[in-house]
Amino acid sequence: MAGVLFEDIFNVKDIDPDGKQFDRVSRLHCESESFKMDLILDVNTWLYPMDLGDKFRLVLALTLREDGYPDTGEYNSVETDQLSRADSFEYIMHGKIYRIEGSENAREPNKNKLSAYVSFGGLLMRIQGDPNNLHGFEADQTIYLLMKKLAF
Amino acid sequence: MVKEQYRFSEEAKKVDNITFTISGHHEIEKQAHINVTSKYLYTQDHLRIPIQNGVLDRRMGVNQKDTTCLTCGENINNCIGHFGYIDLQFPVFQIGFFRSTLDILQTICKNPLCARVLLSQNEINKYSNDLLKCKSYLGRKILKHRIHDKTKKVNICPHCGETNGTVKKCGALKISYEKYRNRKNNQEIELKLAELNEVIQINKEMESYRKYHLVKFLNSQDVLELFEEIPLKEVPLLLMRPEISLPKDLILTRIKVPPICIRPSVVSEIKAGTNEDDLTMRLSEIIMTNDYIAKHREMGAKSPMIAEAWEVLQLHCALLVNSEMSGIPFNLQTKKPSRGLVQRLKGKGGRFRGNLSGKRVNFTSRTVISPDPYLEIEEVGVPTYVAKVLTYPEKVFPGNKEWLKKLVENGPDVHPGANYVEKQGDENNKISLRYAKRKQAARDLKEGDVVARHLCDGDVVLFNRQPSLHKLSIMCHRVKVLNSRTFRFNECVCAPYNADFDGDEMNLHLPQTEEARAEAVVLMSDIELLLCNLQNTSNLVTPRNGEIIIAATQDFLTGAYLLTVKDKFLTRDEMNRLAGWIVAGSDINTQIEIPIPCILKPQELWSGKQLFNLILRPNIKNPVKANLRTKGKSYTHGEDLCYKDSFIVIRNSELLLGTMEKSTMGSGSKSNIFYVLLRDWGKDIAANAMWRLSRMMSYFMTSKGFTIGLNDVLPGQSVLCTKEQLLYSGYNKCDDYIKQMEMEKLQCQPGCSIEETLEAVILKELSVIRDHAGKACLNELHATNSPLVMALSGSKGSVINISQMTACVGQQAISGKRVPNGFLNRSLPYFRHYSKFPTAKGFVQNSFCTGLTPTEFFFHTMGGREGLVDTAVKTAETGYMQRRLVKFLYGGDSLDPTYMEGNGYPIELYRIYEHVRANYPSRNENILLSDEIVSTTKAVIEAENFKHCNEVFKHDLRNFLSHVSEDVKRSLNWPCYNPVILEPHRFTKTQFDQFMDMCSTKYAESIIEPGTAVGALAAQSIGEPGTQMTLKTFHFAGVASMNITQGVPRIKEIINGGKTISTPIITAYLDNDTDEDFARRVKGRIEKTVLSEVCQYMEDVHTEYNSFLIVKLDIDRIKLLQLEVDIDTIVQKICSSRIGIKIDQISIENNDVLLITSNGHSVNIDVELQGYKDALHKLVIQGVIGVNRAVIHEESIKGVTHYKLLVEGDNLRDVIATPGVNGNLCTSNNTYQVFSTLGIEAARSTIMSEIKMVMENHGMVIDHRHIMLVADLMTSRGEPLGITRFGLAKMKESVLNLASFEKTADHLFDAAYYGQMDKINGVSESIIMGIPMSIGSGSFKLLQQYPFLKHILRIFEIILSFELEFFQLDEKISI
Repeated sequence: MAGVLFEDIFNVKDIDPDGKQFDRVSRLHCESESFKMDLILDVNTWLYPMDLGDKFRLVLALTLREDGYPDTGEYNSVETDQLSRADSFEYIMHGKIYRIEGSENAREPNKNKLSAYVSFGGLLMRIQGDPNNLHGFEADQTIYLLMKKLAF
Repeated sequence: MVKEQYRFSEEAKKVDNITFTISGHHEIEKQAHINVTSKYLYTQDHLRIPIQNGVLDRRMGVNQKDTTCLTCGENINNCIGHFGYIDLQFPVFQIGFFRSTLDILQTICKNPLCARVLLSQNEINKYSNDLLKCKSYLGRKILKHRIHDKTKKVNICPHCGETNGTVKKCGALKISYEKYRNRKNNQEIELKLAELNEVIQINKEMESYRKYHLVKFLNSQDVLELFEEIPLKEVPLLLMRPEISLPKDLILTRIKVPPICIRPSVVSEIKAGTNEDDLTMRLSEIIMTNDYIAKHREMGAKSPMIAEAWEVLQLHCALLVNSEMSGIPFNLQTKKPSRGLVQRLKGKGGRFRGNLSGKRVNFTSRTVISPDPYLEIEEVGVPTYVAKVLTYPEKVFPGNKEWLKKLVENGPDVHPGANYVEKQGDENNKISLRYAKRKQAARDLKEGDVVARHLCDGDVVLFNRQPSLHKLSIMCHRVKVLNSRTFRFNECVCAPYNADFDGDEMNLHLPQTEEARAEAVVLMSDIELLLCNLQNTSNLVTPRNGEIIIAATQDFLTGAYLLTVKDKFLTRDEMNRLAGWIVAGSDINTQIEIPIPCILKPQELWSGKQLFNLILRPNIKNPVKANLRTKGKSYTHGEDLCYKDSFIVIRNSELLLGTMEKSTMGSGSKSNIFYVLLRDWGKDIAANAMWRLSRMMSYFMTSKGFTIGLNDVLPGQSVLCTKEQLLYSGYNKCDDYIKQMEMEKLQCQPGCSIEETLEAVILKELSVIRDHAGKACLNELHATNSPLVMALSGSKGSVINISQMTACVGQQAISGKRVPNGFLNRSLPYFRHYSKFPTAKGFVQNSFCTGLTPTEFFFHTMGGREGLVDTAVKTAETGYMQRRLVKFLYGGDSLDPTYMEGNGYPIELYRIYEHVRANYPSRNENILLSDEIVSTTKAVIEAENFKHCNEVFKHDLRNFLSHVSEDVKRSLNWPCYNPVILEPHRFTKTQFDQFMDMCSTKYAESIIEPGTAVGALAAQSIGEPGTQMTLKTFHFAGVASMNITQGVPRIKEIINGGKTISTPIITAYLDNDTDEDFARRVKGRIEKTVLSEVCQYMEDVHTEYNSFLIVKLDIDRIKLLQLEVDIDTIVQKICSSRIGIKIDQISIENNDVLLITSNGHSVNIDVELQGYKDALHKLVIQGVIGVNRAVIHEESIKGVTHYKLLVEGDNLRDVIATPGVNGNLCTSNNTYQVFSTLGIEAARSTIMSEIKMVMENHGMVIDHRHIMLVADLMTSRGEPLGITRFGLAKMKESVLNLASFEKTADHLFDAAYYGQMDKINGVSESIIMGIPMSIGSGSFKLLQQYPFLKHILRIFEIILSFELEFFQLDEKISI
């Protein structure tokens, strides 16, 4: 698929570990199945309830267009509805990668991790893991987050 | 009509200096126009014409409208007044110079034939030399003291050999002279006293008069004769200037009659006749007495009668000058207090402070203020009523002619109108448009005429609220004329004025010239109005420490908080409706771009943060890209991951993370979004964003609604339970402590008595209760709870207020302690005697919601009262402190505190680094390698761009960049080669250049402008926060009992520069600061120990053979206390003490027993021994004098406990000298002690650190440059001088400056005596003389004086012509 930065299936490991702070938003701590990436994600649970142990497919893409043609940057709700990639997902957010940070482990350089922080209008996502899985991430990129729960 | 702009005159008629003199006999006549001789004021007929040569003679001026002055022929408006004089029958003392008269008498020989200064020729030569050297006013004052002190002690005149005695003041206006005072058993005295013998033989009662016989009164006649004899060449030794005034002028033989205009005679409307001024009355009384004396002298009356009249004359002359003179004999005292000349000058309403230093102005108005969020930050709403009265004189020119014509036609009653027209060349003829034909006036309007038009939108005005504590209390605003009757402005501007809307009133001034308007705009606007590249000081930030002061407040904070919380989502119509509020004013054409919603599916929703972004940057084309990364108020941990969403990240004007609240939007912080906008993008953009916020937030809040009710503070079940438990356990613990104390089992805290310890532990226990109860109710409250929202957003109230409302009010404190006993051994009669229980000592367990019990209520009012009293007292106190500071002060690195971005540092490098990286993504560039960064850094810093920066800054910059380069290096060393790993420390060439550029310009901006009034700024910066300080004392960290004075009293103490302070504390560091035993030993050395403390007993023993005193030492106790004394040292101490026990009286029996026997001379051995015993009890056997106690202070640094001593006392020198103390590190908080021990530089740094500490304890940050200035000033003369009238007199040379502060009259009389010449160049002097003060760089003055420039050009021309000739010669030669 063109324009896709990252894709994997995640398991919800924990919800609001520090207690529920907000009525409508919960913080999910998840782990991916294939790449072993760490994910922290704020989700509007009023719109899209999530439970502990839920499994979902997550895609980070630069555009909603199936052909991978980049976004104009302008918003047109009608157009968005027509975009096909949106159809197959239940929950879509739009935001910006604002910070890429390395956590250095002096003893074992192989276990060095890279974290990318994305803000979806204040809803935070942090994806952390092996730098190779975060290929193509750049600061100030705007990206779409697409989610769909998987049935068991 | 148009106020002429101020121009420096090209002619030499500027007041350059003022010389103070004493008017002599002849000068008075010269200055006067008439001799005043008649005691009557008016002719006795009904015409009421002032009598010829009377006190109200018309030749001295007029005070009635329809009369003209007989001297100058002018009317009341133009006659300046003329002096008269009265010749006195006898000379009298001038009360103001009485002290000086005395001093001269003490300096000179009292032989009327000699009257020379009592100095030998050698000394005269020496002092004459000094006189030549010493030109300054202060120096002359000191020299006079020296000569006076020297001559006062001389008994024999070195010139004529005459005996000289003591001259003293005796009663109000009498001088006594005891000629033989210092010569005992002298023959002369015998002879003199022998004169009396005969009389005594006849009258025995005269015997007692003998001792008075040698005392003589010197009357003013005698003194005058003496003074006249003083040789002219010796007058300079009296420090007078003979060319200006002579000693004999100090005695009045003629007095000036002031002009009528300063003592008007008012025709009374109530009764027949006139009301006369006190001066007029006094003068006429003087003439009356004068006449009386003259008549009696002519008739040859008895001398006692004349003497009595003379005394009355003397008194009247004195009262004319100073009516508050003390020591007037009872029978002469007047019933009614009158105003003398001194009273007219001195005090707040006096001439100096009331009229000369502060002048009254026109074109002002005052009314109530109210808020208006829809007004721009720099606007002020002015009622039409006011706008119609305040006028601006606008000159007609082609560009505004049509407009002004319209205004003239509108006249005075329609708002954009005009009140007067003044024709060109006809200054005295103003046409009032109220009565004139307005159409005609409009038609006749010509270019060059002046129209006094109404205040209009866009006019520049000054807006002020009293008390004007700092320069931000008066700022320049743009006018917006509105209906209704109040001044209105945006709430964001409340903070600098310290205004609220509970009925406050404010003043408005309208500058009257274009020049004044320009000045106001540039210097005083709350934001910059002009479009200019020059980054001028904007008043958005305070000069105190460079923090932002005009920022979002109250509702705006609440609104922004509610809008930006994580779970606030907006639908499409909500988003559009709110975003529409951006369109207004200067944003009327701004394109607003709604961003892509953050949630697209299942429903499109925008987050509140996305709406907030539009405030900062409404569309993509907008260039404003602010960056901010900071912790919020309720930050937990994990930076970006803070689960309370209180870590704020703004990147390129996009709020990515975090909830906005006070610390990121309100005043008083530097991690503030508006501050960032201001610093990086300029004040217009910052103010505009602030205005957008206020607009949108007020709409958001009104549409959303925000209320508070009882529901919000009702505690839930869980809170009640926790509170119940807390109270139960807390009370139990307190009970335990009380019981322990009763059984004396309570472990004392260091340096505390058992009661103090109990208080401390109970207080701690009780404060825990409230804190925990508060926490419990916070946990229970829902996020939508209004008080909680307010507390979290920082708009109003705090967590404590919430917990007081819902859970528990807590302990009431009065002056830092629990409620004291108002009744016998109890606080209220409701409680038992000696009750120490929490409720009996002011603990309020109820909340405001449940209601207080009567006793609790009473305690609460006690606490409340203290607060009120405190504020009231503080206002007065700080007012005076501020006045002193400002009057007094009129930095090391020449940086302006207004521009400090960091805390005391000009630039926060990391912030700029992040900012540049975000602003210039430069995606198509390669990153800089670490070596490249290092090398370019070096090159750039040494280049021209950074020449203006000082070394410290360059060093910091280098350090910072080397850190950056290391980061880059490390990321390159990662084992994997995915380009994404370069992202964290990506730093490209463009970014680097921008970064360096920004650092350089920011540094250049922060260099202070030459000629800035730093003193006034420093004074304001220290004085203004003073008004906000409340707590008086605070506990020394760790030691409960060691209080040190804090707050306003402490600041007062420091700037007073007194020798003793209320809580002197020496911090003594130890040689070995990790050993507690060592600390204990040193403590023993310092702390005062008396003999009785280490004695088991001390008793007198009487046996058959002899009697002695036995002293038994308690060796165990000595060991326990680790005192370094033994029997020998104690014996030594006893012998060296003043008790009078000799070494042979003491016998050492044992290593712990001493026997002291009688000295064998005394009659009563028992009494002698008793005396010894009493004295020995109090004998200090060890310790430093002046030290009350010392406390060991523990402090753990990195897990190691460090000990130091806190010594309560003054004797720094001896503490430093104590073995075991590390003298290099010892400090005291007593500036004078530090000065006398360590010198003036140490005193300076102590002043600085002390002021800083007090301010910091009250949570106030003041740039260290301000404090430095104060400290520098106080220590610049080589000794610490207080900021008081005494210090001022030792520091300032200018008389006018001194006179306008305190003791007005004294300074003026002094100046006259010395013949002081005052240059007019200071601020006070310039204001008094009405001359612009010399503030600023003066570049305008330089440019404006074009004749001077012409002169330079002429020189240039000459040089050029010479060179031309040369060239021509050259050319010729070459040809």
